[in-house]
Amino acid sequence: MILLALILIPLLGGLLAWWAERFGTRATRWVALVATVLQLGVAAGIWAVHPGGGQTWWLDYARPWIPQFGIGLHLALDGFSLLLVLLTGVIGVLSVAASWEGITVKVGFFHFNLLWTLAGITGIFLSFDLFLFYVCWEVMLVPLYFLIDVWGHEERHFAAKKFFIFTQTAGLFLLLGMLGLVLTVAARFHVLTFDYFTLMQHPLGLYPLARWLMLGFFLAFAVKLPAVPLHTWLPDAHTQAPVAGSVDLAGLVLKVGAYGLMRLTLPLFPEISRAFAPIALTLAVLGILYGAVLAFAQTDLKRLVAYTSISHMGFVLLGIFSFNTMAWLGVTIILLAHGLSTGALFIFVGILNDRVKTRDITRMGGLWARAPILGGLTLFFALAALGLPGLGTFVGELLVLQGTFLVQPLFAVLASLGFILSSIYALWMLQRVFFGPPAPHVEARDVKPHETAMLAAAIALTLWLGLYPQPMLDTARAGVAQMLSTPEGGTP
Amino acid sequence: MVPFAWIILVSILLFALGAIALITRRNAVAALMGVELMLNAANLNFVAAWRYYYPDHLDAQVAVLLVITIAAAEAAVGLAIILNLYRRFGTVDLDQIRLMRG
Amino acid sequence: MTWADLPALYPMLIPAATAVLLLLTLTVRRDARLAAGVAMAGFIAGLLALAASAAELSHPVTMLLTVDRFAVVFWGILLFAGLLVSVFAVGYFRTLREPREEFYLLWLLAVVGAMVMAASAHFAAFFLGLELLSVSLYVLIAYPRMQSRAVEAGVKYLILAGASSAFVLFGMALTYAATGTLTFAELFTHLTLFPGDVLLLGGVVMILVGVGFKLALVPFHFWTPDVYEGAPLPVTAAVATVSKGAAFALLTRLLLGVIQAQPGHSTLAVIFTLLALASMIVGNLLALAQGNLKRLLAYSSIANMGYALTAFIAGGDAARVAIPYFFAGYIVAVLAAFGVMTQLSTPEHELQEVEDYRGLAWRYPWSAALLTVALLSLAGIPLTAGFLGKFFVLTAGMAAGRWTLVVTLVLTSGLGLYYYLRVITALYQAPLEGEQPTPPPLHLPHRLSVLTGLALAVLAALLLLLGVYPSPVLHLLAWP
Repeated sequence: MILLALILIPLLGGLLAWWAERFGTRATRWVALVATVLQLGVAAGIWAVHPGGGQTWWLDYARPWIPQFGIGLHLALDGFSLLLVLLTGVIGVLSVAASWEGITVKVGFFHFNLLWTLAGITGIFLSFDLFLFYVCWEVMLVPLYFLIDVWGHEERHFAAKKFFIFTQTAGLFLLLGMLGLVLTVAARFHVLTFDYFTLMQHPLGLYPLARWLMLGFFLAFAVKLPAVPLHTWLPDAHTQAPVAGSVDLAGLVLKVGAYGLMRLTLPLFPEISRAFAPIALTLAVLGILYGAVLAFAQTDLKRLVAYTSISHMGFVLLGIFSFNTMAWLGVTIILLAHGLSTGALFIFVGILNDRVKTRDITRMGGLWARAPILGGLTLFFALAALGLPGLGTFVGELLVLQGTFLVQPLFAVLASLGFILSSIYALWMLQRVFFGPPAPHVEARDVKPHETAMLAAAIALTLWLGLYPQPMLDTARAGVAQMLSTPEGGTP
Repeated sequence: MVPFAWIILVSILLFALGAIALITRRNAVAALMGVELMLNAANLNFVAAWRYYYPDHLDAQVAVLLVITIAAAEAAVGLAIILNLYRRFGTVDLDQIRLMRG
Repeated sequence: MTWADLPALYPMLIPAATAVLLLLTLTVRRDARLAAGVAMAGFIAGLLALAASAAELSHPVTMLLTVDRFAVVFWGILLFAGLLVSVFAVGYFRTLREPREEFYLLWLLAVVGAMVMAASAHFAAFFLGLELLSVSLYVLIAYPRMQSRAVEAGVKYLILAGASSAFVLFGMALTYAATGTLTFAELFTHLTLFPGDVLLLGGVVMILVGVGFKLALVPFHFWTPDVYEGAPLPVTAAVATVSKGAAFALLTRLLLGVIQAQPGHSTLAVIFTLLALASMIVGNLLALAQGNLKRLLAYSSIANMGYALTAFIAGGDAARVAIPYFFAGYIVAVLAAFGVMTQLSTPEHELQEVEDYRGLAWRYPWSAALLTVALLSLAGIPLTAGFLGKFFVLTAGMAAGRWTLVVTLVLTSGLGLYYYLRVITALYQAPLEGEQPTPPPLHLPHRLSVLTGLALAVLAALLLLLGVYPSPVLHLLAWP
């Protein structure tokens, strides 16, 4: 029941926020803030009540939905999901806060879309019925499309359509894969079900069709991640989305791709995924290097951050396909840390954009002298993204590289080149933005109190992840181990 | 007696003539006449099949009567619409009536 | 036929009797509101009778008609569409300066024709239903006789539909010559026993040409955009819903069994596969370039019929659920889209261009929201009826291993998103600053009537309900 509440809070909150617009935009903003804080609070409450370790499945909620097709409303929660739900809560609060002043038109509809996106993402992390998973997957897309299309920047219509068509078409392949899996299992074992746990008990092994089905599952998540040849929607979407949209995209939507691979693709098709690993690892290394190199060539700040995301997600893909608990724990940490730090970076870009009315790095010189606090904060998050020891991403990527090195040393060595490149791009960005010759017409206003509060929270969390990741690792361990174990892994 | 195949052939020819009239004649009334010819080709076919193969069944005869009735209704409605077409456009030449693309 | 059979036919007989009653009423008193009221009462009574007769099902009523669960479901869909189109017509035609009473009379007859088609078990019933529907539609399309486009569309439809009826009839004649029977059941027996009989196959293919024309499947689709554009909006909705629903129900009755009984690569299966592929690809591609919303929906309906054919070709129990469900979703979405358009239009000035709808969301948020949901449903996005329809179609296609069709469906759906999104984008665009007069002012000549508002609300509720909670309908569709 409490799991259903986690999804219902943003869903109802969205409707309420839209309705509250009639009492003024402040009412809408407060409703949205309360809803996201409430969701975060519930998730944190679950964490507090269930100490880590021991049991794999913490909560479970199942009701029939379309019994004729074996579809149920099945929600469940393990430590791994919980961490991602917590991330959703944090990013949700941040994105409402980040839109507090930037969004001035159609405020009600904006917060409706924002909260429904969050609801869809929460639903994905909790769904243990393939059909429900797919529904949540799509429920996330449409509001996000509106966020980009209505409140985005100059090229928003193009970017929104590109984003939607890429992910939706990939989503249809996911649907095909799911249907194929369900029908094949139904034909072989005479069980028509979309239930995750039941399907796990009926492995297809190396059944000929399974190869194609796995490809469907891989394709959808690879587009979302994004893995390299399928990434082209991301820079456009990131660049054109409003601040909250970019924060959601970077902080959460990319995580959904990784989550899908870890929760569905690999556990459902373990043998085929292992056979597929060399291809996936190649794509991962390509992504790490390609993202880093292209980031170097960008002058648009948002595009730059987008390409660094592609690079980091390369590490995620690398870690996932090395089939190793250490690497997977590293992936978990990267997901959390990257979500926080990139989300915060996008909030910065928003603040910068507010001050200097441009996202072009070459026109931002000399900000350090005029806005020292802003400069200091940006330095922090840039270093976090770079992977400075003591900050979250470093721990994650180090674990991934260690884990990968044990099984795939060649790929690990190639990927570590990404470390060097990422330090180049982070330092380059800082140099251009803050230490160059002062550009004319730069408004000197420094950060405002609520911006400081928002960012201080993100800093605290990033530091926590970097200095004392043990609680997160403990929480995630059982779930990760279960996903990596053999199909008999078990039911809640 | 004439072989059945010949009659089928004639009916197919009639049908084709109607279809050709429909395609080539740009006069709306002529096109409607083409449609009537096609309907009657089918009637001939029904009658022939009854006479040659199924003389005990009344199905075909009933079908023919039904078709004649329906064709009359269709022609009446069709001519009324074409009359209105003439009032609106001053012509019944289908090539000259092109307000819409495609 | 006995008296005991009669209740099964009430849902169809009541609208037919209403037509006669309406004709008599018109001789006494000409009043458009009264005429509309009588027609709506007829449709509602038909729906109520349907609920009553749904209890006793599945028996042939004479050799001409079969009232089984499938027929009842399609009758329900057709009567519902009939009712809603009448509601839309009331608001739409209010500015027409000519008699508008006969519209409802003809519309009742058209729906009865469609119902006959959906329940027919015999070629005579099929042809009678087809002609009743077609001849009524000729007049309905050309109904605003001072509107040149409507008249042009009416004549085009008259000639092409006439030709397609001739194809159907000639096909029937050939089939009769080959088999000596006019019942569907006997046709099934002959087709499965002699799949290679040229005369028989030729007949069936010619019937397909006619049905394909009504469904606007691809090589027979060329009339669709012009008729959609020229016809008055409520009639466009009718052509897109009632006419297609009836034709597909008939196709299912006539040939679903045959397709299932024959091997996967029989001539008929190959023909249908090609039609479906062409419809999905061509429909979606041509829709991409359309700036006119009516034409866009015309091409979208072509593509949607391709999707429905996928389930039909797949056959099996899955198809028996998928086809009615898909159509219910499709028809509700199309009615909602045309309903919104109708409510903003009059016969003299229809809002047709996508540009006309720019910024609708900020002026008429509820209309825009409904149009959005309808378009998302047509695009097959979850939580809408269209998604579950497509989901069941995909399930059927995959269960039968029709991979080419299934993959084409997925790819063309992705393509189709582009044009639906283009419309949705326009809906939510702010009217451009600086060039304020550019978007032509939407004029809503009078306040939305309670009836139209109710109809639109019902459609919105159905779109979401069918998309979220399908179990009751699936239960109903468990077709014996």
